[in-house]
Amino acid sequence: MTFSEKLKNGKFIITAEVAPPRGTDWKSVIESIKPLKEKVDAFNVTDNQRSMVRMSSLAMSKLLLDSGFDPIFQITCRDRNRIALQSELLGAAALGIRNICLMTGDFTTLGDQPDAKPVFDIDSVQLIELAKKLESGKLLNGKEIKGSVEFTVGAVYNPFAGPKILQEWKLRKKVEAGAEFIQTQPVYDIRVAEEVNDLIEALGAVPIIGLLPVKSLKMANFMKKLNPTSVPDKLIEGLEKANDPAQYGWDYVIDIAHAIAEFGRGIHFMLVGKTSELAAFIDYLRNDSPYNHKF
Amino acid sequence: MVVVKLKPFEEILKALEGFKKVFIFGCELGSGRCKNGGLREAVELGEKLKEKGFEIVGIKSPGGTCILERISFPGRELLKEAEKNSEVIISLACGAGTQLIAENVDIPVLTGVTTLFIGAEREGKYFNEYCIACGDCIISETGGICPIARCPKSLTNGPCGGAIDGKCEVDPSIPCIWYLIADRMEKIGTLRKLKIRAPFKDYSKSVYPRSLILEEEA
Ligand code: SF4
Ligand code: SF4
Repeated sequence: MTFSEKLKNGKFIITAEVAPPRGTDWKSVIESIKPLKEKVDAFNVTDNQRSMVRMSSLAMSKLLLDSGFDPIFQITCRDRNRIALQSELLGAAALGIRNICLMTGDFTTLGDQPDAKPVFDIDSVQLIELAKKLESGKLLNGKEIKGSVEFTVGAVYNPFAGPKILQEWKLRKKVEAGAEFIQTQPVYDIRVAEEVNDLIEALGAVPIIGLLPVKSLKMANFMKKLNPTSVPDKLIEGLEKANDPAQYGWDYVIDIAHAIAEFGRGIHFMLVGKTSELAAFIDYLRNDSPYNHKF
Repeated sequence: MVVVKLKPFEEILKALEGFKKVFIFGCELGSGRCKNGGLREAVELGEKLKEKGFEIVGIKSPGGTCILERISFPGRELLKEAEKNSEVIISLACGAGTQLIAENVDIPVLTGVTTLFIGAEREGKYFNEYCIACGDCIISETGGICPIARCPKSLTNGPCGGAIDGKCEVDPSIPCIWYLIADRMEKIGTLRKLKIRAPFKDYSKSVYPRSLILEEEA
């Protein structure tokens, strides 16, 4: 079953993130995710993440598709105006890329080419509206298009951003505009994961909870600095005590993944480091876990 | 008001290379208010230039350099005087005022400031950008606070996912404007307006150069 079929059929979903190369060496990227073939349902292909130049996410998505993976083409509002966004999405549809994940995007000055001109012609909610408009057979200006466009539309949500009420309303706008699945920022607390899961599900979209294994205490502290409420003290304390912090960080996230497999609809691994461990965990979930019927 | 910032003295000196007789214009309206190009700064600049051997022919700071054209007297006379007696004019008025001076004289007009933004004066100490003159004002929908100018991403449907702890993702030293919008709209009882999806902005209205034509009174 493809990612979009699983989404529609209520199956449990596992996605992971993959960044296009800085350069043209896409083969080594494909090589690095081979152990996850037919295990991870779809790979989010990031769009110049953190405003640093990488190979085009559209090109990488197509290369993934040709290599037997199901891509989720990520596209942001940072670098393209509405003309370019429509054109890019039409291109994706023509290339057979079905899954898209639409977001505002990190700001230009946070990257390594801060002198670039930021675009932000439209926002993430409007980008979803734009994709749905194309699906309806029309451009934004109402002109008819030739050929069919069919997307499975996703969006993102950060449960730790504020103001809470406006974040929730914006999430609702995304779902109302047509987002079918929502991938979240990394969560390190089962209670938060459950709340977010329920919130997204109640709005009518499929929640796919973000998981990012921390590799070290330094990484956890860095994330805590960026987003204080997202990293609980018990994770920091555990990392401090651990003999092997990377293993601890991995096990910690796997525990949460277990819990989500029980109550939720999907998980999204935001760092594909331990590919063989992840492959083994997915095998376990699918075959031997008490939740194997959900896959 | 238009907020400007004085250029570093070295930069002004460099631009003045080859000239001797200088006339300095300030502007009391914008540049003066933000203490970066009013009479006081014009006089200070004059003193410094004198020390470097320049002849300061005159220093004037009209009430509004960008409306000079409408002031037939004494504005016009002032420009004529400056043109006649000096080789070069240094203007501390905003980009608009400086260009207007240049349109009215046949000698070089240099700028001594950089025009920064349309802003508001806070506590007499600093200035914040409040409006980017987008040509399609939406602040009636956002509690009178502008997310176009005051959110770096000009978002209209609510905050981005980088709005953490009240701070802006782009520059944590400034607030995420959506927190201020939420507080204000909550206070005045209009918050629920933000539940509705915002229309696409019409950026054709911000294509420059723009004009405003005053209608003749009937
Ligand atoms: S919405 Fe446009 S015109 Fe209104 S304050 Fe903001 S930038 Fe200025
Ligand atoms: S944090 Fe707030 S002000 Fe800053 S870019 Fe995001 S929405 Fe705009």
